[in-house]
Amino acid sequence: MASNALPGKFDVIVVGAGPAGSAAAYLLAKAGLKTLIIERGRGAGTKELFGGKIYAAPLREVWPELDKEAPIHRWVGRERISFVAGDRVSTVEFKLGRRVAFTTYLTEMAKWMAGKAVDAGAILVDEVRVDEIVVRDGKVVGVRSGPDIVEADVVIDAEGVNRMLLEKLGLAEKISPDQVALGVKEVINVGKKNIQEKLMLDDDEGMAWFMVGDVTNGLPGGGFLYTMKDTIALGLVLHVGKAYEAAKKGLLEKTVPQMVEALRTHNFFSKIWGDADVLEYGAHLTIEGGLRFMPRKLYMPGFLVVGDAAGFLLNTGYTIRGVDFAVYSGKLAAETVIEALNNGGPTGENLKRYEDKVKASFIYKELVKHRGIEKVMEDPLFFTKLPALLNTVFAKLYEADYEEPTLLEAVTSSLEESEISLSRFMIKMLSIMSKL
Amino acid sequence: MGRLRPIKIEDLLQRTVYDVDEEPHIEIIKQEGVPKELTKLCPCSCYSMVGERLLYSYEGCLECGLCRVLSEEWGLKWTYPKSGRGVQYRFT
Repeated sequence: MASNALPGKFDVIVVGAGPAGSAAAYLLAKAGLKTLIIERGRGAGTKELFGGKIYAAPLREVWPELDKEAPIHRWVGRERISFVAGDRVSTVEFKLGRRVAFTTYLTEMAKWMAGKAVDAGAILVDEVRVDEIVVRDGKVVGVRSGPDIVEADVVIDAEGVNRMLLEKLGLAEKISPDQVALGVKEVINVGKKNIQEKLMLDDDEGMAWFMVGDVTNGLPGGGFLYTMKDTIALGLVLHVGKAYEAAKKGLLEKTVPQMVEALRTHNFFSKIWGDADVLEYGAHLTIEGGLRFMPRKLYMPGFLVVGDAAGFLLNTGYTIRGVDFAVYSGKLAAETVIEALNNGGPTGENLKRYEDKVKASFIYKELVKHRGIEKVMEDPLFFTKLPALLNTVFAKLYEADYEEPTLLEAVTSSLEESEISLSRFMIKMLSIMSKL
Repeated sequence: MGRLRPIKIEDLLQRTVYDVDEEPHIEIIKQEGVPKELTKLCPCSCYSMVGERLLYSYEGCLECGLCRVLSEEWGLKWTYPKSGRGVQYRFT
């Protein structure tokens, strides 16, 4: 970065123009603070990849104009979960009564959010990779990229899930395989008409669809499908630790790209897109068990960490919340910085208030409530046995030529065949439900 | 409609836009520090075995970070591409 292009010192430097970084930068610039966002990609959004759905309410607290202006593709009107066992598929569908979440490309959405920050007066410098957070006398004073250092009173770290800067700073350990999942996604050019007809959707209505069971080759995780305006985002989320274990034991027949292709060519699901073109293929890490991923501290003098880098993501198996947590943490960080700079400066004590705000917010409450959810998701009972059991029950009920069993008979005999005891099953289900 | 045929990863990666840097942002430093299982797990199949040696080619890298998580720090040099290079996502 040419230091002569960036004269003077900034009030705040935000590392990363993702949802968390841009939300923080927007509010800081709006409050009149001299704010610099540094982004490694070519413009905001070019390095972003997520599943497809964003909860709107937390974003409206930052941008009340969200519904009118943001690049919203479809409002999720139908949520589906499918349990897959061989050729059999059991599906539950819920038609929502109101608009809560929307689908979009995060590439577009991030560009919109960064644009908001720039409109409010923030300076966005792209194509610059931050190599280090600079610390002097126990206090963060700026960032370094190559030989260049830019200084600021506060640095907000919004670097994302691969938090190398945070590790270098000593606030986080190296990521362990059990803390993350690998998300792999294909974007399929299905066409607006096809999407709406085949999935029974209104013009601006969308679907979020999760698949559990025989789509992950026996690995913990699941499949996902989100309808965009004209395309479908289809992919898998795979538990990295368990996938690695399985690969070491030689239990993985398919490579990860082959697993995603197996889902795209799946006889049941592929009816929706047929041989429509794949427009893009991508991958990104996501967090398993946000609380375990949270750094020891969310602050130090002159420094705050927000978004994925701070572990603010919840994966419950039937829904994933990350972007709204990220934006909201950016909002809390910006509020804390504004208060601190108006009142004694960005001392550790003043910035600790960010951690207090996070702990009082829905982000932390959600993460605590679902604490241990990743253990449920790793349990074969959840991602293998339950889908198999459900489909065995339905097969007994619907695939009988003459005598149909009663529901109770179907359930008990299916449990017996799956070698699951009824009492153990009930206890397990209760413990699963308490975390979901 | 018959069963659909999978697209090979080399062809799939053609759909994604890259601005490939002249120098690699990821390099294997010590073979023992990088697991061979990455040939199965890397989502863009950037890892392959040539005889007993694990090779990495950075051109198709999706910058996900998986290999960094599974490798020893002394085994793999892992950075993001510089100057905005690398993968250029459009619809994700």
